[in-house]
Formats: sequence, structure tokens, C-alpha cells
Amino acid sequence: MTEGLEIFGKTVFDALFIDYRIMVVVAIISIILFLVGIYMQLDKWGRGVPEGATKPVGAWGTLKLMFQKTFEKGIGPALGIIALDVFLQRRIWRRRKTEWLMHMLIFWGWMGLFILTVAAAGAEFYGPFVKGTDFQFFADFWRTLELPNNVFGYILLAGIVIAIVRRVAFADVPSARDTSVDWIALAGLSIIIITGFWAQGLRVSYGVEERMLVSAYETVAPGFFNNPLVLFHEVFSLLFIAYLPFSKLFHMFVTPLVIMINKGGYAEVNPQE
Amino acid sequence: MTKNKPAISLENLTPIQLMEYDACTRCGECVKYCPAYNARDKDQAIEPRDKILRWRDFVTRSYGWRAKLFGPASIPEEEIKKFTDDLYNCTTCGMCGTVCCAGIDTIELWESTRANLVKHGTGPYGKQSLFPKLIGDGHNPYLKQQKDRLVWMTPDIKIAEKSDLAYFIGCTAGYNQQVLCVNTARILNKLDVPFMVLGEDEWCCASALIRTGQQHLGDVPKQTALHNIEALKARGAKRVVFACAGCFRAAKIDWPRAYGKALPFETIHMSQLLAEQLDAGKIKWEKSFDKTVTYHDPCHLGRHVGVFEEPRKVLKSMPGVKLIEMERNRHEQRCCGAGGGVKAGIPDLALNIAKDRVNDARATGAEVLISTCPFCRRNLIDGRDELKLEMRVDDLVVLSAHLMGLSTDIKSPAPGAPKETISDLFRTQTIPPKPPAEPKKEAPKEAPKESPKEATEKAQKEASNETKKEAEKK
Repeated sequence: MTEGLEIFGKTVFDALFIDYRIMVVVAIISIILFLVGIYMQLDKWGRGVPEGATKPVGAWGTLKLMFQKTFEKGIGPALGIIALDVFLQRRIWRRRKTEWLMHMLIFWGWMGLFILTVAAAGAEFYGPFVKGTDFQFFADFWRTLELPNNVFGYILLAGIVIAIVRRVAFADVPSARDTSVDWIALAGLSIIIITGFWAQGLRVSYGVEERMLVSAYETVAPGFFNNPLVLFHEVFSLLFIAYLPFSKLFHMFVTPLVIMINKGGYAEVNPQE
Repeated sequence: MTKNKPAISLENLTPIQLMEYDACTRCGECVKYCPAYNARDKDQAIEPRDKILRWRDFVTRSYGWRAKLFGPASIPEEEIKKFTDDLYNCTTCGMCGTVCCAGIDTIELWESTRANLVKHGTGPYGKQSLFPKLIGDGHNPYLKQQKDRLVWMTPDIKIAEKSDLAYFIGCTAGYNQQVLCVNTARILNKLDVPFMVLGEDEWCCASALIRTGQQHLGDVPKQTALHNIEALKARGAKRVVFACAGCFRAAKIDWPRAYGKALPFETIHMSQLLAEQLDAGKIKWEKSFDKTVTYHDPCHLGRHVGVFEEPRKVLKSMPGVKLIEMERNRHEQRCCGAGGGVKAGIPDLALNIAKDRVNDARATGAEVLISTCPFCRRNLIDGRDELKLEMRVDDLVVLSAHLMGLSTDIKSPAPGAPKETISDLFRTQTIPPKPPAEPKKEAPKEAPKESPKEATEKAQKEASNETKKEAEKK
């Protein structure tokens, strides 16, 4: 039986070789950096003057404007645009089928893994704090997450492979002046997915029950500190997300917002009869 | 340590437009369709994606997080000037926005950025800097007289003193392409649709100023829009018909912005009015036209405001006409090359794009190329002439008038008038050559004579100085 980690008088058990003392700190730093990055972008956009206004609206004014524009035709049409243009990426589907497949695989692979990771983290705290159970609750929950985790991992991996192959062999338009940003994105995602599979492989090689019998915080294998790869995967993933608002990769967040604000973009605003 | 001043301002850009610059995914879909990029031998600096990325870079260097922490990075003025010139190598046709996977409204984005660069002092481009003075002082971009607004009138045309319908003629048709206003008026007469015109009270729609980012100079577009709206309102117009796609776009999109609310009358394009009359069974074609015809959607009528089907409906109803679509049609049409101030500012680019579009038409095997905009008509005629093709190029109103049994002739064309003054399709008139100019007296030695190029440059410089002064005042 693992010793677990005492948090507010409760023992949180770990089964993923993750040291929460490090993870919580890194996660908090990442979230703060991410929010600071978002604020800086909002502040930059807020230097613009909306039509009909006489002075810049600032960061919060921009946020308000984004909501107003997105929902100015009502919640129904806005949700329609979100479903079709953000979740199903209709504009890309219309014009570039291979890229659409690539984007869908990366988007949904990433979203799936993100949701499952949040769910797993929640379950680890939900067991001891809400249900008052020991490690068994999380062990059972994690078992149910392993298959979808693998599926979404492969989906993301397939998307990355298509992206690399397309760039190297099948690009149908000349590349932009600076292609480094694409390769940084692909490299980042590749590192996350490869180390993620590797980390999961280590976990599987021990089995969930066996992991429960090992202190997550002991300093010998298979405890966390002898698995720097797992540490690297988790820390890198969190910091990569924190880096996005400061980089040119920020379009990952801005593009869906602009499509929502512009009500789906040209073809939707001027539909063909 | 004192921080540098940002090299660029964000004036004239909205928060959403600044977001749009950050939203470009660099996919390059716009590159495949951009007519200017294609006509400029695929120069990367002309592609829409590259312009977005360069301006984004300017903004990041001036206002990004590094600039916030360490001060704005310097941007050489030549870099901004080069960007400005590249930005003006664009007809603002909007094709890039149509295909943009990020849904960016590029037409508005280009126009706002141009306005920003005019304030910066690097825009506009070439002769475009003459527009504010020409339109502001003379109310038209062609140095013509207001009293000549109705110079095209023929004795057979009846214009009502007062009517619910007003015909907004536009500077290009009224002064340089009389065949269009004559035939529009004759069609309305034939259909027994009474109409009035503003005559000397009509001012330029100011589209050229807005498209070239000069809307803030002396507030000319606002003043002209308000003047036209008030004049039409005062005359009791309930509906205003436009045969020029450029004026129609301005009235539909730009005028309400200047007016601050919806216009007090309905705006309609002549092709829509024709389709309406057709539906009402009022148009009776009296002749047949046994030719293959292809239709060019003007950007300002099609992509900008969404009128695609009405001109086709009219063409399809014409006896004998076989309508063939170009590969790129409707939303995906290729621009004729004249818009965005390009015809005036960068004529070689306008001509190259026109040749591409005429080649699109040639590929269909059509004998006639029809459009619904005087600017497209003029530029496509130029492209056709450059390619030395037999294809005829004309406007829908000219063909409609002919098939309704009307004469398409204007009153005797003035010697040396532009070729587009008369019908290219029927060629029943010719333009008399300009009489040879009298030999000029020798200029006094103390006043050195300016070459036309020097004169243009001087005028541009003067206009540019005024632009700068205006910007400084603001």
C-alpha cells in the first residue's frame, strides 16, 4: 500500500508516477503564465478602437466585445457556428480535405487527452476528499481511462504524422516566409505524444495494483524520481501550454475565436443562393 | 533607460482586426487564389498571407510582450514603406477572405491597414494620392465639371422631375462610359418605370477614397455620402438604382456607416431591377442574340454584397444566349484587376490581372464577356485589347437594351473620347480621332517646362504633403 501524499489532512494516492509536490507547483506556474500571456494579448488587441468608439477599449473591453460580437445574433446561431466551425472545422473541410483530417485528428486527439487528464487528476482528489475512499477508487477509475487515453493518443499521433508528411512531401502552396513556427508546433506536439506513450508504457509495465503498493514518492524504481521521463512529459506538456500565448502558435486559440466573432466567416455571412 | 517609441501606430484598426492578424494559421489557401500575387509572377511579398504575417510582426515588435518588458523594437522606415507598397498591390477583391480558413474579413482588414499607413505617411500609392483633392473639390475623380453630369442625355430619354425611383449614375458611367447611362435610362423608359436623377447634385460615391485608405482625409467620403443621402432624401427617393457595382457597394456598405443608421431609401442594382421586371413579366425581348456569353461577377456586386444570381437570371432569359460559366465564378470569381485603387495607382498590375481574367473567359470559348460594372468593363476591354482577342466585352444593360429593341447608340461621341464611351459589343458607332493639337508656342525660358511625369509627380507630392498635414492635424 502506497503511503500517498498528505494534502489538507487527506491522503492522495498516486498511481501514475507523478509527484504532486512538483506537479502542483508546475501546474500553478503554467496557469499563471498562460493567463498573463492571454492578458498581454488582450491588452494588445485592446489598443484598437472599435467601430463607433473614439478611444481604445483595453483588455477587458476587448473581452466584452468578443462576447458581444459572438452572441449578437443570439445564442442559437452562435452555438451553431461553434459546433460547425470550431468543433467540426467546416471552413477547412470546404477547402482542404487532407488538412481538415489532420486538424481534426490533432484537435480532437489533444482535446480528448486534455479532458481525460483533467478527469484523472480530479478523480485522484475526488476519492479521498469527497468519497473518503482509499486508492482503490482511483485505480478503478484509471483502468477505465486507459483505453480512451490510448485511442486519443493514437488519434493525435496520426494527426502529427499527416502534418509532417504533408509538409515534407505534399505541400500544395509555397511555404510562408518563416516556417519555424510550424516545426516548433510539430516538435512540441511530437515530444508530448512520444514521451506520453513512453510514460504510459512504464506505468503499464508495472500494473496499476502493483503501482499502488509502491510509494509514489520513494526514490527508487519504479517510484517517480527514478522516472525522469514521466516528469519530463508532465512538466513539458504544462509549460508548452503556458508558452502558447507568447508565441506565434497562439493562433490555435485566436482562430476559433475569430471564426466565432465573424459568424463563421465570409461564406456564412454572404451565403450562396 | 528610455524606451523607443513604437514604429507603427494601431490607429484605424479595431480590436477584432488586431485579433484577425493573430488568427492567420499560415495555411496559404489565400495564396492559391490571389489575383495580384498571380499577376506579379508569384512574388511572395504580394501574397495576402505574407502581408498578414509582416504586419503581425510589426505589431508584435511594437506592442508584444517583449516590447512591453524591454521597449518596442525598431522597424526601419524602408521596411514599412515596402510593406505599404505591397499592401497597395491588391485590388481588395476579397478572394482571400472568401477562402480564408480562419474566417478573416480581409477586405475590411486591408482597408483599415491602408488608412493606418496613410496616417503614417507611407500610403497611398502613386496617383491615388490625388483622390482626396479631386473628389473633395471637384466631386468626381476625373477632373470633370459638375454641370456636365448629364452631358450624356439624348433627346429620347425622359427623366422625371420627381419620382420614387432615383437613378444614381456614378462618375465613371456619367463621364466616361456614356453608353451605360444612356442604355440604363432607355431601359427604364421602355419599362415605363419613371425615375429621377440628381444631376449636378450628384457627388462621387467616394468608393475610391475608402478602398485606398483615405477615408479620414478631410472626411470627404462621409461628406459626400451625407450629401448624396440628403439630396436623395430631399427629392423623395424611396428606391435608388445603381448600374455601377462600385457605387452600389459604397451605398450599400459605406454610406450607412457614414450616415450612422440605415439609409432612408432602398438601394438596388440595375441587374436586380431587371430580374425583378423579368419576374413581373414586364420585359419582352424583341430580338435574339445567338452567341455564347460568359458572365464576370464584379467583386463589388458579388463577393462584397452577395448579388450573384440576378444577372445570370437575366442573361439566361435572353433568346439565343448560351451562358457558359468560367471555371472561377460567383464567390470564387477572379477579380478584373481594376478595384482597390489599382487601376489608377498601379495600371500595369491592373492590366496583368485583366489579362488573366480575359483568359479565364477565353477558356470557356465564349464570344462575349458580360459584366455589370463600368470599372470591370473598362479593365476587361483593356485586357482583351492587350491580348488582341476578338471577344466582345460589354455591360448587361447594353445587351439588355439591344434585345429590348432599343438603340444602344449614344449621342455623337466626342473626338478622342475613351474607347469605352461607346458599345464594344455592337460597335455601331466610332469615336472620331482627336484633332491634331496646335503646335505649342515656345515656353518662356525662365519657366522650365515640366514633363507629364514630372507634373504627375509634383501633383502627387502636393497631395501627399496635404495628406501628411491632414494626418498631423488629426
